Amino acid sequence: MSATTGVRPTKGYLMEMKRRIGFIERGTEFLKLKRDHLAKELTTSLDVLKGRRSKLLEDLRIAYRAVTAAYISLGPTEVRSQASSIKSRLELEVLPRSVMGVRYPYIKVEKEPQITGELDITLSEAAEKVLGILDDILQLAEFEARAERIADELGKTNRKVNALENTIIPSYRQVIKFIEDKLDEESLEELVRMKLIGGALARRRE
Amino acid sequence: MSPGLSYVVIRSHALMGDLLTPGQMRALAEKESLEGFVEQLADTPYGEISIGTEGDVSIALEKVFYQKFIERTMGIVDLAPTKIGDFLQSYYYLRFEVINLKRIIRGKFSGIPIPQIMESLIPIMPYMVESYEDIVEAETFQDAVRRLEGTPYAPLISSLELSEKYDALWPVEIALNYLSIREILKSLERLPQSDRGLVRRIVQVEADVENFLVAAKQRGAREDAHSPEEMFPVTYGIGPDVLREAIEADDIRAVIQGLNPPYDEIMAPLYEGDVALIRSRLRQHVYDIAKRGRAANDFGFNVVMAYLVFSEIEKDDLVGVAWGKTQGISAEDILKYLAIPNFV
Repeated sequence: MSATTGVRPTKGYLMEMKRRIGFIERGTEFLKLKRDHLAKELTTSLDVLKGRRSKLLEDLRIAYRAVTAAYISLGPTEVRSQASSIKSRLELEVLPRSVMGVRYPYIKVEKEPQITGELDITLSEAAEKVLGILDDILQLAEFEARAERIADELGKTNRKVNALENTIIPSYRQVIKFIEDKLDEESLEELVRMKLIGGALARRRE
Repeated sequence: MSPGLSYVVIRSHALMGDLLTPGQMRALAEKESLEGFVEQLADTPYGEISIGTEGDVSIALEKVFYQKFIERTMGIVDLAPTKIGDFLQSYYYLRFEVINLKRIIRGKFSGIPIPQIMESLIPIMPYMVESYEDIVEAETFQDAVRRLEGTPYAPLISSLELSEKYDALWPVEIALNYLSIREILKSLERLPQSDRGLVRRIVQVEADVENFLVAAKQRGAREDAHSPEEMFPVTYGIGPDVLREAIEADDIRAVIQGLNPPYDEIMAPLYEGDVALIRSRLRQHVYDIAKRGRAANDFGFNVVMAYLVFSEIEKDDLVGVAWGKTQGISAEDILKYLAIPNFV
């Protein structure tokens, strides 16, 4: 279906269309600004993520080796039994945060587990290693979620900008041009008609 | 030597053939997968094992290995002359019961559901208590400890005061360890004087290593550290002064280097912070004590004890290998912590 189907070629509609396209163009500019800002944020986040991830993976490997040693040394049932004796568990609160309108989770540690008292030294060492990198794990998870949501929003914004630039705005321009052409045509017709009427009236007066 | 003891010694010699060799244990640890491990195990005296598909496979396998070890112990206890049988039952059942009581008390302390606590227990008949169910059904962990009134574990009740003072379980666990060591050493009196040395050496070295590990753990919390008298009611080769020194030392290396053999060598992995390796070295040392004991008297009680010690270490190694296989841990990482393949 053509963009001009059902269009009323009136001056009022033309003014409405011009008002709308002005609004859409301003919106597109804003979206382009948002897209550029999100792209910048994403690039920075990815650079940080690369460095943090490889460091955390190394720390995790060390912590996992300690956990493995504890399991092999004590056996899975004993490890579970000792781990269950920790009264004070890890408590987290997930809060929302926003960058350029993109919401991402922020993890707040409410309470850290008290591992010193009840665990066997093997398990205690492993638990300390895991607890030592817990903040890094949470921060990285938060950062990854942030980067993922920014990338998602960047994709959406890009699609919106493209749709506006390549489809919506051209179709509005087409409608405006159609109405302007129609109105020009009508005013030309009107002028010719007025000239003919004027000529006819002049001839009658003679 | 009594005919009963002769028979059980000969039987122990024969049963040693059923134990896994270091090569077999290494081959099991080197299997690519859990399926491969179970298949390889089928070619050993453990035979075909059905582990089911539900729940944690490593825990199911752990139960199988405990069951096998308990069967081996019972097989020897049934054959042994009364005094030796009583001692062995006391030695092994008491240690398992202590583990079970710790698991029950920990479960009650942290409010674990009753079925889950029961599931974590080693499958033995109650030894010095009437029933585990009665204790598990207690409302609180204090109530669970109080239900030990009238059993040989009654002295634990007095440790509740310290436990409430620190809101911690360690006073009860330490009291339980102390009680079990005391009971084991008391039960040694059932054996002839000549047969006591091997068990005493094993019990004492285990108690010393555990004490030192507890002291090493306290190093980080020097201000909150509890008095050595509270924490180490029983010490042997590593005295309270050395333990206090270990708690207060800035560099534990110097304290370890000052220990007498075999403790200095057993504790050496503490330098690199690999505490699990200490337990592996302790098991190797216990294996060595049993082996030397057997060599010293190849036709006496030491042979029986050596068979059970080897069997228990085999069980511990197999539990570690099974867990490692379920988690896809590399053979190298598993083998590092095993006692039998590393025994020199």
